[in-house]
Amino acid sequence: MRRTALVLLLALLAAAVLAALRPGSSYAAQDREQSWAPASRTHPAGTDALGRDRLTRVAVAALLGLAGAASAAAGATGIAAGVGVLAAFGPKILAGPLLLVCDSFLALPWLFLLMMVRAGLPLQTAPLVSAAATFLILALLGWPACARAVHAGASAMRRADWMIQGRAAGLRATQLMGRHLLPRMLPLLIPQLLISVPVFLIAEANLGTLGLGVAEPLPSWGSMLLELDNSALLASSHWVYLPVALLIAFLVLLELCVTEA
Amino acid sequence: MKPIRDDHNWRGWRVIGWRGWRLALVIAALTTGLLIASPMHAQSGSGGVAWAIKYDPKTFDPAKVDDQASELVRYLTGGVLLRINRHTQEVEPSLASSWTIAPDGRTLVFHLRAGLRFSDGSALTSADAAWSIRRVLAPATAAPVAEEFLTPGGVTVETPDPLTVIVHLPRRVVSIGRVFDEIAIEPQNRASEGRVTAGPYVVAEYERGQFVRLERNPHYWKHDPGGAQLPYLPSIRLDIVANPEQEQVRFVRGQYQFLGGISPEYFDLLARTQPQSAHDLGPSLNTEQLWFNQAAAAPLPAYEKQWFASTAFRVAISEAIHRQDLARLAYSGHATPAYGFISPANKVWFDAHLDVPREDVAAANVALAKAGFYRSGATLYDASGHAVRFSILTNAGNAAREKMATLIQQDLAAIGITVTVVTLDFPALIDRLMHTENYEACILGLANVDPDPDSMMNLWLSSSPNHQWNPSEKTPATPWEAAIDAAMQAQASATGMEGRRQAVDRVQQIVATEQPFIYLVYPNALYAVSPALAGVDLTVLAPGPVWNIESLRWQKGKR
Repeated sequence: MRRTALVLLLALLAAAVLAALRPGSSYAAQDREQSWAPASRTHPAGTDALGRDRLTRVAVAALLGLAGAASAAAGATGIAAGVGVLAAFGPKILAGPLLLVCDSFLALPWLFLLMMVRAGLPLQTAPLVSAAATFLILALLGWPACARAVHAGASAMRRADWMIQGRAAGLRATQLMGRHLLPRMLPLLIPQLLISVPVFLIAEANLGTLGLGVAEPLPSWGSMLLELDNSALLASSHWVYLPVALLIAFLVLLELCVTEA
Repeated sequence: MKPIRDDHNWRGWRVIGWRGWRLALVIAALTTGLLIASPMHAQSGSGGVAWAIKYDPKTFDPAKVDDQASELVRYLTGGVLLRINRHTQEVEPSLASSWTIAPDGRTLVFHLRAGLRFSDGSALTSADAAWSIRRVLAPATAAPVAEEFLTPGGVTVETPDPLTVIVHLPRRVVSIGRVFDEIAIEPQNRASEGRVTAGPYVVAEYERGQFVRLERNPHYWKHDPGGAQLPYLPSIRLDIVANPEQEQVRFVRGQYQFLGGISPEYFDLLARTQPQSAHDLGPSLNTEQLWFNQAAAAPLPAYEKQWFASTAFRVAISEAIHRQDLARLAYSGHATPAYGFISPANKVWFDAHLDVPREDVAAANVALAKAGFYRSGATLYDASGHAVRFSILTNAGNAAREKMATLIQQDLAAIGITVTVVTLDFPALIDRLMHTENYEACILGLANVDPDPDSMMNLWLSSSPNHQWNPSEKTPATPWEAAIDAAMQAQASATGMEGRRQAVDRVQQIVATEQPFIYLVYPNALYAVSPALAGVDLTVLAPGPVWNIESLRWQKGKR
């Protein structure tokens, strides 16, 4: 099942790359005489209100969203691993404050915090940089839950036989961590990483639906899902469902990969 | 009869028993209770009409109205001495049968109709009118409308007889008649928050967050030509519904008779499915505009301030914007390109002969070159070599504004300018506009309720905090802003209409020449009205299709 999900996920990604790189396609070009155009050879999924090719925009949004979410997930998992391991293996005096910081972060109203941070970005920030900043903020705010799990897992390994033997053998802390702890932590970290991808994907889409995600003209899932807020548009074209259908497909496939992992 | 699952019966399903009935009865009773309490089942009475308002009225006290929902309730319930006819846009007598204003504009005499009564049957005399006016003027009431008297403390009111009210003003107030459209007459010393009124309806019931129910005033002074008591409709239910989708569904089901503030896309859908209900009245009084930050204290680089202060730069931007595309794509054609602050819907003040910069990309390029800007490749540079790039702010969640900003982004790319579109939540946006002044350009709209340009005084005077491109100037920063100040003061002090018109036309021309606001579109007034109603006379002025509520009635056989 996991293999099938992975294959389908890769196939979708490959299709998105092909759609985004189609000759003559552009996610930003406005063909103002082709507003809300139906599906055609030039525009296989029709166009949006400003006459932009919907397929290209959906493909770019998918690639951008997944790349951003995966990077944010990697960053958040990295921070979580560092903090969790430090709290478990570091000086005892450090563990309490670190876990307190985790809990404080968990209690933060992250959506409002995100909105505040986004509002504080320089206004002339290029759309791609603002997208990167959005995912960076998500990573910086999204690590504490994972850090808690890592801390629990790492604490269990603290008194493991292999750890005591390693210490007795005179291995340095870095050797212990790199050679022995990290490989044993991977079964915990990989699912945490995989879980974070759809979480960040949804978080960015949420911000986008509030109009605070990726800036125009860059497409994002959030900005395209905004179209679904208008029932009149749903009646006019079935292609407005394409972004949400793809998002659900990606989420289901990611979920399957995580479950199997 | 729907079977319920019985775990003690191995066959799985059986017909409902007594215990099941008891449960079902309890559930039914609870459900009915909930439904009765829900807005959909708040009875407006047989033959009544209903529509939705977005939020609860903040107050039912007509003197303290400061929001749209409260204003609507005041309009439907309040009896006023003078009423602005929303169709002709002229002031007409209402509770007053006639009124005069002295040549110096400082004394107003109102003659009340004979036999006026409040909704509880008590007589309405000049004492009630004087008390209501004094109450509005009293500082303790903090009535927003008091400001329109300019010096409310100096206003005195006399009642020489039960049918005459004389108001003395310390100084002339332009269009003073319009102010009395906002002063509801209440029974002396019995402020009732809309429960006892001299208008067409009274507040009968209010459930917070759910609905307001109004009932016909049986003693309303108006009668139709046949002598029948107005209003025709016995009751009105205003449901509090924040979700426009819900509102639209209820209109289509026939539960609501009016729909306002419709999105252009939904309007098109409605026009296809119920063409007789959908009405596009053309341009409203509202405007959508782009402006550059010209505040001296703005934390912007000096070269950017120089661009924004340059008339040639602003005019070139205006010429590069394709307003027809904004109206067609951002509003699905339900907007009208705008070139000035007074909309064609404003019959009295619109100037059709303004000399305005029209779309002309070639002219924009020439103007920029003359002003020292030059192109290198696809990028425009100023004389000191800075690439011309700026951000346009707008509020998140307004689809039309976001689309306009994206269209302008491409329009300006054609003259070598790079634009970043930034959407912010409203509080963050206002913070940048009003407090930090840390922004370059902004797109927002202005909702104009009053067609009289005097109501825009706080926008045009350079000393005003609402003078958005450069708020609260100690002295006008430019000669043309000084000229606007002078012309606005002139229209406020002119004694004749011709003098006022000349002054307002002058302001319109200065704004068109200098482009401190680059007007983009006038969104059209879009309404949906049940075709079962007769007597509908649609107008763009608030409260839109219900402005003549007393004359609306059901068509025969439609209800």
